[in-house]
Amino acid sequence: MITQDLISFFLFSLLYLTVTIPLVLAYRVTKVINFTVANYITYGAYTAVLLDYYMRSSFGHNSLLLTVLSSFAVTGLIAVLSNLAVFKPLAEMRVKGDVLMIASMGLWIVLKYVLYIVSDIASSAWRTNLVSYSQIHYDDISLLTVRAGLVGVQQSLVVFPLLALASMLILYLVLNATRVGRAVLAVADNSVLASLSGIAVGRVVSLTWFLTAGLTSLAGVMWTTYSGAITPEVGDSLILQVFTIAFIGGLSSLTRTAAGALLISGVENFGTDLLSTYLGLPTSIKPMLTFTVLLATLIVSPPLGVAGGVPYRFTRGARR
Amino acid sequence: MIDVLGFLITLTTYIGIYLVLSLTLTLEVSSGITNFGKVAFYGLGAYTGALIGTYLPLAITGSRASPFDVNGIQLLYTISKSNPVLDLSVFLLSLAAGFAVSALFGLLLTYPIHRVGSALVGFTLLSTGEVLRLFYLNTEPLGESKGFMGIPNPFAWLPQARGAEALYLIIVWCFVGLTYFIVSRIMNSPLGRILKGMRDDELVALYAGWPTPLIKSKVLALTSGLTGVAGVLWAYYFTSINPNMFTPSLTFNIWAMVILGGIDSIVGGVLGTVLLASVDYAARFVIPFIGTTLVTPDYLRWIIVGLVMLVVLLKKPEGLAPRRGGVSKL
Amino acid sequence: MGVKLIVEKVTKRFGGVVALNRVSINVPSSLVVGLIGPNGSGKTTLFNVVTGYYTPDEGRVLIEGSGRVVDITGWNPNRISRLGVARTFQIPRLIPSLTVLENMLLFYDYGSCASITCSLRRKWVDVEEAAVARAMSILREFGLESIAHKRPAELSAGHLKLVETLRGLMSDAKLFMLDEPFAGVESWMARKLTDTIRKINREKGSTFVVIEHRITELLEGVDYVYVLHNGSLLAEGKPDEAVSDERVIKAYLGK
Repeated sequence: MITQDLISFFLFSLLYLTVTIPLVLAYRVTKVINFTVANYITYGAYTAVLLDYYMRSSFGHNSLLLTVLSSFAVTGLIAVLSNLAVFKPLAEMRVKGDVLMIASMGLWIVLKYVLYIVSDIASSAWRTNLVSYSQIHYDDISLLTVRAGLVGVQQSLVVFPLLALASMLILYLVLNATRVGRAVLAVADNSVLASLSGIAVGRVVSLTWFLTAGLTSLAGVMWTTYSGAITPEVGDSLILQVFTIAFIGGLSSLTRTAAGALLISGVENFGTDLLSTYLGLPTSIKPMLTFTVLLATLIVSPPLGVAGGVPYRFTRGARR
Repeated sequence: MIDVLGFLITLTTYIGIYLVLSLTLTLEVSSGITNFGKVAFYGLGAYTGALIGTYLPLAITGSRASPFDVNGIQLLYTISKSNPVLDLSVFLLSLAAGFAVSALFGLLLTYPIHRVGSALVGFTLLSTGEVLRLFYLNTEPLGESKGFMGIPNPFAWLPQARGAEALYLIIVWCFVGLTYFIVSRIMNSPLGRILKGMRDDELVALYAGWPTPLIKSKVLALTSGLTGVAGVLWAYYFTSINPNMFTPSLTFNIWAMVILGGIDSIVGGVLGTVLLASVDYAARFVIPFIGTTLVTPDYLRWIIVGLVMLVVLLKKPEGLAPRRGGVSKL
Repeated sequence: MGVKLIVEKVTKRFGGVVALNRVSINVPSSLVVGLIGPNGSGKTTLFNVVTGYYTPDEGRVLIEGSGRVVDITGWNPNRISRLGVARTFQIPRLIPSLTVLENMLLFYDYGSCASITCSLRRKWVDVEEAAVARAMSILREFGLESIAHKRPAELSAGHLKLVETLRGLMSDAKLFMLDEPFAGVESWMARKLTDTIRKINREKGSTFVVIEHRITELLEGVDYVYVLHNGSLLAEGKPDEAVSDERVIKAYLGK
């Protein structure tokens, strides 16, 4: 039981990190509370599903590398387009943050059901069930595990750390070692100042959409190696955890966000298990535990800054 | 032969229940509460109503039948047919309890959400709705995924089914009238101006001397209570409820209605609701006749709801019937 | 009558930064007092502490009026406002969706008429009439009735500052705290603002604390000056004394 808990704690921590770190960065640059991250995860997973079906039926094998690249490109492109079509025009109208958030809700519904339609059409064209797809095996990963002498190890145990690490590495390298990355950080800190110092804020924002959405889609790819039934609800089912973690981090601090990812993953895996073993509670209380953490966060340590409310109530609590 | 009168009665009942939701949302939005959890309070009301409407008659008549098996449902139907006093009083009790439970729940939720900005308020309420839905889905005494099926119609004892429908319609619309009265009186008063100030700049409202957290709590408690009653009305109208009826999509549907008509315009909200709810209902009515198609019409319907939100926000942010004039009508 | 403001050894820290370091000021009733200092010297932080936006880490804030001393340390802004303290902001904050008149009305104390029950029973009509009459008479008195029905977006910076100050009159403020009232205001409007401050001070006896970072702007018409520098009180005195103080000159001109 404990080993199982440890494994899922490990996997889910990585999954949450892969989604929330780009989310926080994206918020700092774009200032949109963006519920379409749910779509990014789902689109990442479904690019993998469609590709898997195509590759298997045409070539008989499938590659993780190819999947990651396509998921990244598809999701990144969707994010850039949604910025151009929705968020950029709204930001130019100088609407309040609430309106951006409401717009992201609208976009969420549209993208969600577009995917449903796409997978329905693909299902009937290919005469297979894509709305509930089985776990995907990537042949290049199998090759890798065999080489490393890890025969019989679940792919998720390899793919999760691999992609999470890759995501962090890409983020770190892009932000710290490239000029455009430093521009992203400058905009995240202070977009007015950045634009005064000659940074093309518009282009940096577009790039951020592409990069963060692309990285988020990796979580969807990770999911395909873990879940036994991949459905277009993947992203939606993660949104409570993802935003709870992001809000624990106050949508600004990466360290707090990472801590939040571990906390939520721990509460979900160990907490649920403990409660069901010792108190006989059903495992379906999992989301309630996450929700309790959310409420506790709001009460004990409400996020400061932009995600916060009228600041005077926090400065009072922040007395040290 | 299509039953035109029946169609119209159902449509207007449906619109009426949606109107309560959109009117209360208009008041919430104009007070700066981004309520993405309408469905939480609505569902809570519906489940409270269903709980009372099924367990109570069975308990009073001393039956040991479960409201989830055929015997229980049959028994509930017989009771509602034969005992008008019990049937009606259970309904009235449900209305009151639906209001009280939802209002109390809204009041309790304001404690954590006072501390945070509107984005977090929206998300917290959204997750509240989802968590409640999962709670219904996994709780045996609430019927799990099947939900309640034998909620008695409060006018089942009337000999004519059409009469029962019409009476119910009148009750729904009386409540719509009450909600309209409450919302418009508040929005067109000095309090309405304070709410608007609070929405635009909470700090200024505080500096003007208004205890904004307290005011927000009261508004959310009131609107949640009314939303809860709408839930009860839905449960007794449909006579069966299940967790699937209370997904976040319902909340977005109402947001789309309010945005379409014009945020913080009462008339706009009503217009948007009538338009979208009619389309929605007509779609529900027509879709079964289409049969199986390549593209599920229901998905298209949701895409349209989302697009309506986006297009209005982008092209006509003030909505179809924007609010005119000042806050006070002297 | 005005009130007396006493700030006792107030300290406010943000993380490691000490924004206010044991600052004590004593503003006598019915005076116009200047609070000057370079940018970042803690003037606005002091305003935020006095008006309840921040709670000080140490020290007390007291208001003394009609023989009563009230310790307002840690009170919420709305309670402090009801005690008769009005403030303005560096960048004027009016409610954008309300007209000037409605912005004024927002600051009127409707008491129980702002409750939900009163709204439902429409019992507020008389009070509203009184409030509108009051607001209009204030606007008329200061020659602003022409902008009563305009929205903030249509107003000049000077008008915004003026309305922001005047709305304090709606809440019967006895202590006005004005944050850089002359910043970005044309000179004729600045004169009008000075006249307004003087007129309210003379007729109602209200106390004024006025922030200004440019030292020369404010001197005329100010009775007393406090100089803040790096979160500490540097000097105080009559305007000409304070300005000729060596330390003040040093702080302003650098070494």
